[in-house]
Amino acid sequence: MNVKSRSLDYQDTLSGIAPPAWWLVFKRELSDLWIGGKAFNMILIYAILLGVMVYVYSFNTELSLIPPKEAVYEMLKNAMAFCMFVGLVIGADTLSGERERATLESLLLTPTSRRQIVIGKFLAGISSWPPAFIIVLPFLNVLSQGDEVLGPAILWGALTGTVLVLAYTALGMLVSFWSNSNKVSYFVSLGIFVLLLVPAELPGKSAGAAGQFLQWINPLAAVNHFLSKHLVNYRTLAEFWTWLISPVAFLIITCVLLFLFAGPTLRIEGGRPSKFWAKINRALGLSVILCILFSMTAFPALALQGEPPGGNLQISIDMSYGLVKTGDKVEFNTVVTNAGSSASPPLIVAMNIINLDASGDVVDPEDWSPQRTQYLEALGPGESAELAWIINTILEGDYMVYMVIIPAPESKETTSQPIASPGIHLTSHHTQGSTRKECFLMQLARRWLYY
Amino acid sequence: MKRHTPQENQSHQPEILLAENLHKSYGPRQALAGLSFSLKAGRILGFLGPNGAGKTTAIRILTTLLEPDSGRFVVNGIDSKYPQAIRRRIGVLPENLGFPRQITAVEYLTYFGQLYGRSAKDAKAYGLALLEEVGLEQRARSLVGTYSHGMKQRLGIARALVNAPVVAFLDEPTLGLDPRGQQELLSLIKRIVKERNVGVVLCSHALSEIDAICDDVVILMAGRVIASGTVIDVIKQTRQNAFRVQVPPPSLDKARRVLKALPSILDIALTDETTGWLRLELEDENRKVSTENHQINNKILGALVRAKIPVLSFGADGGRLQDVFLQLTEEEVK
Repeated sequence: MNVKSRSLDYQDTLSGIAPPAWWLVFKRELSDLWIGGKAFNMILIYAILLGVMVYVYSFNTELSLIPPKEAVYEMLKNAMAFCMFVGLVIGADTLSGERERATLESLLLTPTSRRQIVIGKFLAGISSWPPAFIIVLPFLNVLSQGDEVLGPAILWGALTGTVLVLAYTALGMLVSFWSNSNKVSYFVSLGIFVLLLVPAELPGKSAGAAGQFLQWINPLAAVNHFLSKHLVNYRTLAEFWTWLISPVAFLIITCVLLFLFAGPTLRIEGGRPSKFWAKINRALGLSVILCILFSMTAFPALALQGEPPGGNLQISIDMSYGLVKTGDKVEFNTVVTNAGSSASPPLIVAMNIINLDASGDVVDPEDWSPQRTQYLEALGPGESAELAWIINTILEGDYMVYMVIIPAPESKETTSQPIASPGIHLTSHHTQGSTRKECFLMQLARRWLYY
Repeated sequence: MKRHTPQENQSHQPEILLAENLHKSYGPRQALAGLSFSLKAGRILGFLGPNGAGKTTAIRILTTLLEPDSGRFVVNGIDSKYPQAIRRRIGVLPENLGFPRQITAVEYLTYFGQLYGRSAKDAKAYGLALLEEVGLEQRARSLVGTYSHGMKQRLGIARALVNAPVVAFLDEPTLGLDPRGQQELLSLIKRIVKERNVGVVLCSHALSEIDAICDDVVILMAGRVIASGTVIDVIKQTRQNAFRVQVPPPSLDKARRVLKALPSILDIALTDETTGWLRLELEDENRKVSTENHQINNKILGALVRAKIPVLSFGADGGRLQDVFLQLTEEEVK
């Protein structure tokens, strides 16, 4: 070919012959990611981690007792979190990394539109998600043990995972767009990842309205909540679809920012393209700092607030032991207090009596007390309720009496965490000639010795 | 066939790059303050200036990577309002061009050829031809990660030519190369300019390079043009009313006495005692006596020879681009 014979004006005649620029950039980036080894290595680590998780779930005696649907949910949740991390890391390197490697300039010097460059890079950035999801499928199959949860898990995992991975990759690219160095880009991206991941791991059900809102607005936490309700508790989409709003909104916002605002102004230097963006960047920086400060102070508090229902309920008994004559009636009171910041569900307080003598008779509490179970309405924050109890000591022996508060479960498919009270050590014996007054004096003496 | 002199050739060449009053500021700091110059096809324009003079900003504006605050430029008739069209007509070798490691040279050029609108087949064929042109045909299918710095610079030049540009901007093309590599690359640039009739803007700190291969020169200082024109004109613009003479160091005192006796010499300064360099400043009465006056040359040399002082070196002081650059930038600093 005679290079020199080419016309200088050929440039305008060539448009349209080549494939679209975004496709060329996508192919080039894909090759860099997978042949260069970055994406491949991450997927390899991911596959190993999944294998370890399945092994632990299967062979750990405690974890192997987890129902299949919960194991599937946990596996799906962790797989999605890792894939989001991969997308974020790849996105964070996309532009600032090219700036550092000085390969972006030659790309920007071509007549290709900036937006097409960004689109090509974005598509390559999300390329790790399809293989990652395919890899998790056999693991989900193993953990489901034939449970019907597998189908919905695959469907909703694919849908919500795609939304989150796309959004996180776009977020990483946005950070990369504004970062002059790869270090800054990685640091900010991982900071955001942790910031969104930590609250997602906190149960926000009883954390009050603010906690619920934080849970709802955090795309990762919202998806986790939706999946747990839908896959583990068999709640319907109609009940919990609102928890999908924030991830979808997050995706739309990041993509609009990336493709409509940042993309067309892609430049050789990150940071401040104009005074307007400088102000925006300052505002964003300030917001990130405030978010970090907030998370440092608020999340521990929310974590405490976010304990399971009943974690903030307390029960006390006005008696710790009793030395009684067989046939005596023992009366005592309990106080149930809601120490939390939100209202409790309706409560059930049940009494249990255990024979401490291994060779003794098993106690049937129904024979000992006419009021074995009592019901309480919901208690407001700081509210208390006193309950009176009577026990008829019908047998001789050494017994432990204790109470259990059971927060009423939300529905037939949900459960709750019971809270036990301190016990009353009750000793019943036959004593000829002893009076109730003597028993009382002995009780006083024992109490004094005890303290 | 009629042969034209270089000067005649230049007058027929079209103006392919015209910059008019370009301004650019970064906050309170003015990086460019009214840059104007022009470049004709087939010529090499040297872009000179100390660090921070505004060269990089100027190149980034001219290559459409930055927008000027005011002013305009035209590339081959295309106004700077149409950056995408301009990018089709320019080729750039940036100062620190990075390359993907896991790609062969021909794949690299094919990729960029396609980005400029070529079909894959055409881009590959053209890439191979370019690699031959820059002397890399033997390594066309080697991974770029295995290339030496000099080879990468050649590949960078090939990449700058992938769209057969009208103007090529080469930013420090010989930086980091050994002397042979520098010579070879400069020869390559000269050959490309000659064969393709492309205009080249060459940024370099190596004044000898500019001196050797550039036709025109623009000297920038603090964002302003302090000298521009052909290299010869710019050298003439500066004061050249002094000679530099080198004698053996033991003869320095004797030489100073002999030269001081000459009527045309205003001042004699010892510039380097160890190597025996003297600077002779001449009287400047309407430039009757100047370094271009050959009679004074003979007078000086004659006086030294008669005094039996060996003359190791003799020439006009300020007759090189390096002297011009130092003098102009020093004056600007003052």
